[in-house]
Amino acid sequence: MNLPAAVRKRIDGWFLSRRPPADILELTQRNVYIVPSRAGWMLCITLLVLLVASINYQLNLGYLLTFMLAGCVAVGMHVGHGTLRGLTLHLLPPEAQHAGSAAVLRVVLHNARRGVRYGIGLSVRGSGQWAWSDVPAQGSESVAIAFLPERRGLHPVPPLTAETRFPLGTFRIWTVWKPAAQLLVYPAPEPSPPPLPVGEALSGDASAAASRTSLAGEYDGVRAYRRGDLLKLVVWKKAARAQATGSNELVSRDTQHAQRDELWLDAQDANLPDVEARTSRLCAWVLMADRLGVDYGLRVGGRTLKPSQGEAHRRACLEVLATC
Amino acid sequence: MLTTRWTRRIEALPREARDTLFLLCVIALIVLPQAGTLPLSCVLLTLVALLWRGWIAVQGKPLPGLWWRVGMLALGLLGVFAAHKTLLGRDAGVTLVILLLALKTLEMRARRDAFVIFFLGFFAMLTNFFYSQSLVTAFVMLLALLGLLTALVNAHKPVGRPPLIQSARTAFTMALLGAPVMLALFMLFPRMSPLWGTPNDEMTGRSGLSNTMRVGTIARLALDDGIAARIRFDGNMTPSQRALYFRGPVLSDFDGRQWTAPAPWERGFFNAELRVRGDPVGYEVTLEPSNRPWLLALDVPQQVPEVPGMRVVITPDLQLIANRPVGDLLRYRAASYPDFESGPLRRTGALERYVALPPGANPRTAELAAAMKRDPVLVAAGTPGYVQAALTRLRTGGYLYTLEPGVYGDETADEFWFDRKEGFCEHITSAFVVLMRSLDVPARIVTGYQGGELNSVDGFWVVRQSDAHAWAEVWEAGKGWVRVDPTGAVSPGRVGAFQRLAPQAGFFAGALGTMSPTLAQNLRSAWEAANNGWNQWVLNYTQSRQLDLLKNLGFETPSLQDLAIVLLWLLIAVSVGGAGWTLWERSQHDPWLRLLGRARARLVKAGLALPDATPPRRMANAAVAHFGDVARPAHDWLLKLEAQRYAAASDDSAGLAALRSEFRRTPWPK
Repeated sequence: MNLPAAVRKRIDGWFLSRRPPADILELTQRNVYIVPSRAGWMLCITLLVLLVASINYQLNLGYLLTFMLAGCVAVGMHVGHGTLRGLTLHLLPPEAQHAGSAAVLRVVLHNARRGVRYGIGLSVRGSGQWAWSDVPAQGSESVAIAFLPERRGLHPVPPLTAETRFPLGTFRIWTVWKPAAQLLVYPAPEPSPPPLPVGEALSGDASAAASRTSLAGEYDGVRAYRRGDLLKLVVWKKAARAQATGSNELVSRDTQHAQRDELWLDAQDANLPDVEARTSRLCAWVLMADRLGVDYGLRVGGRTLKPSQGEAHRRACLEVLATC
Repeated sequence: MLTTRWTRRIEALPREARDTLFLLCVIALIVLPQAGTLPLSCVLLTLVALLWRGWIAVQGKPLPGLWWRVGMLALGLLGVFAAHKTLLGRDAGVTLVILLLALKTLEMRARRDAFVIFFLGFFAMLTNFFYSQSLVTAFVMLLALLGLLTALVNAHKPVGRPPLIQSARTAFTMALLGAPVMLALFMLFPRMSPLWGTPNDEMTGRSGLSNTMRVGTIARLALDDGIAARIRFDGNMTPSQRALYFRGPVLSDFDGRQWTAPAPWERGFFNAELRVRGDPVGYEVTLEPSNRPWLLALDVPQQVPEVPGMRVVITPDLQLIANRPVGDLLRYRAASYPDFESGPLRRTGALERYVALPPGANPRTAELAAAMKRDPVLVAAGTPGYVQAALTRLRTGGYLYTLEPGVYGDETADEFWFDRKEGFCEHITSAFVVLMRSLDVPARIVTGYQGGELNSVDGFWVVRQSDAHAWAEVWEAGKGWVRVDPTGAVSPGRVGAFQRLAPQAGFFAGALGTMSPTLAQNLRSAWEAANNGWNQWVLNYTQSRQLDLLKNLGFETPSLQDLAIVLLWLLIAVSVGGAGWTLWERSQHDPWLRLLGRARARLVKAGLALPDATPPRRMANAAVAHFGDVARPAHDWLLKLEAQRYAAASDDSAGLAALRSEFRRTPWPK
């Protein structure tokens, strides 16, 4: 099976272009392929030898054995094909991942038939790493396939392949599936990034910007709780009182610092010539700032995200970093 | 109690161990029927390998290292060589296959690696058939095949610990569905003659007859209840049991101790000079393999039976000889004339070899002959007189028929006539022929089978090895060769009736016999009928039967080519049928969805853009919005369709058939 690379590529392209990408694939006669496996060829040779032995020694029982085996292989071909045919594959929307860590593709296999489908393997095409599963009768089975994206960005999900050798291993029955879903890959965070850049004064006061106070710095007064406020900023005494009166409102300390400085994560500050290294450092900073629970803004590649915090903001920042 | 403990222990094993143990059991089942024929060293080594592998599986120990395996292989090869003096040839090859199968288990690592074992296993199953193709062997091998298939199916369930019984069910279903394929191929695959010559070693000694006869040879065979042939007579033409003489080798050369049949080229090219009277008896013979070139026929066929793939000739002494040994079950038709004469009418030089005796042997028999020759009454009566005198002497002289005559000395005829006075057919016949030759009467010994037994279950006449017999033929001027059975004179029961001296039955058979003699007989009859059916329909399914089948199918002059054509057509028919079924299966989607699809196609054709998965209500609303009131009937129909699916309990829901006919009547917007 050593076809020239160019021919292989052509065949691959043809396979993948046969149907439009879709996240749900129903396996039918048209997209399930079958060829004898190596073991199948071996069994074929065995059958031939058995046949010749039966002829030469005139063994009618030998004929029976040979033909019985051949019959079983023929039935096995249909059983194997039936294992994939009629199966529905459904790719759940993949979750975004950082480059360098494995993305998990979750595929739900649905079997409408009144029989178990055994030994179905799923893998990213060409990876050679199979996730095997049995799909119960008239039920579903969820399979997770790991996939290591090479670089950040918005990638189409790689072509997947489902395969089975059930029941006798004499045939390789497979399908190729190109899902429509796209996989967002954030940049990999720099392993040991430098500390966050200093915040910028709102009014442009350089001296204020230079003295970056700690988070738990002086505070002057309280304000209503905002999503994303650190727990230690919450005035718990007041919270207890508020709960006693029936209102569930929380109150946070208003820090001077939060009012005075604004943290901007700027590609300029990353101070690295390489774009990838820069995004990687910015990514690490975003994660760091998010962990610290401070407001942060992002300026990269001509795009600006206003300082904010919280889950949605972090996602937005990472998305910008992934695609810039 | 014990079984539950065992099942629990097996349940507690890890999957790999359980699968391995199962496969080992199947391999043991494959090897078991051959344990008797394989060399002892090979059997022991196989046993050790299987037990070792089982222990490894249960204990979870590592597999033996390379040197262990090489060592065991070397030991095995040595054993094969010691037993067969070669590593080539069929029997050595069979031993090697078994050995490799057992040793391969010692390097069975992953489930997928087991493929070699499976294929060797299929092969080892076939080797069983070299030695036996009986019903029992077939049954055991069917079990083994199902076991191997189960293991193979199980190996392709990579997830979890699937119960073996499920895999067994899958394997059984596959075998069941594969059976028609097997049947079609078995019936239609053209039977060919061997592609190349195969040495038929180690098959001697199956027959009850031999080219030579020494004292004691047939005694052993008389104890053998194996079946030599089955005969089915046409219609009601069964001759009486007394007349059933099946001719084997004719022994004419005597060296004082041993009778021999001359080699074919020594017999010369004399004509048998066969003269027959009356009507022939037609019958069909199913001959068990004997590895001898002799075909059995009732005395005496005028025409040589036609056997496909063999050239059969009839010798001057009326024996049927084929051009190759009978290595497998053979069936042929023949017609025999029970009333016949053969041989020259006048004494010729060719008869001189039938009066030859080693000089000086059996002096007392020679004296007896001389005394008879001096009797004028006998001399006047001629050859028939001598024969009658000898038979009278046998009948009245205190001679006994026994299966245990003891060991005779050199002068066998003298000892029989004067000292021991007991023996079985070969002693009696040999002594009789020696006496005849001493009287200058040409005589010879004919070996073969006499009698037989009718199986009442299937109507076949069964001839056993224990029916092996030896009788004499004496030449008379003007008549030719005449059959004389001197054993009948000593023990009239031996010829004809059933009173053979049977050996002591084994314990079980004995018990069965005391309980109900007829039950044992009936059981045996039923079992042999089953065996015979197996022989007739499976083992003896030959080229000629295939061609018969074609003839029944309407071919005028069937040939092997026609067989291939029928097979091809069958293949095409099955393929077309399969394709049709696939089409039909594809159309078997939800009929409701198909109806909805038709409605959508109508609307789309009329110019309404509808997405792929539009529910009927939205489709209805979109149609009314687009076409106006023209689409009202369509709208109503679509709502009915919706109700049929989602509000089936309500009154206005119609059946699908009604909706379909309404669909055709509904004026769709154009």
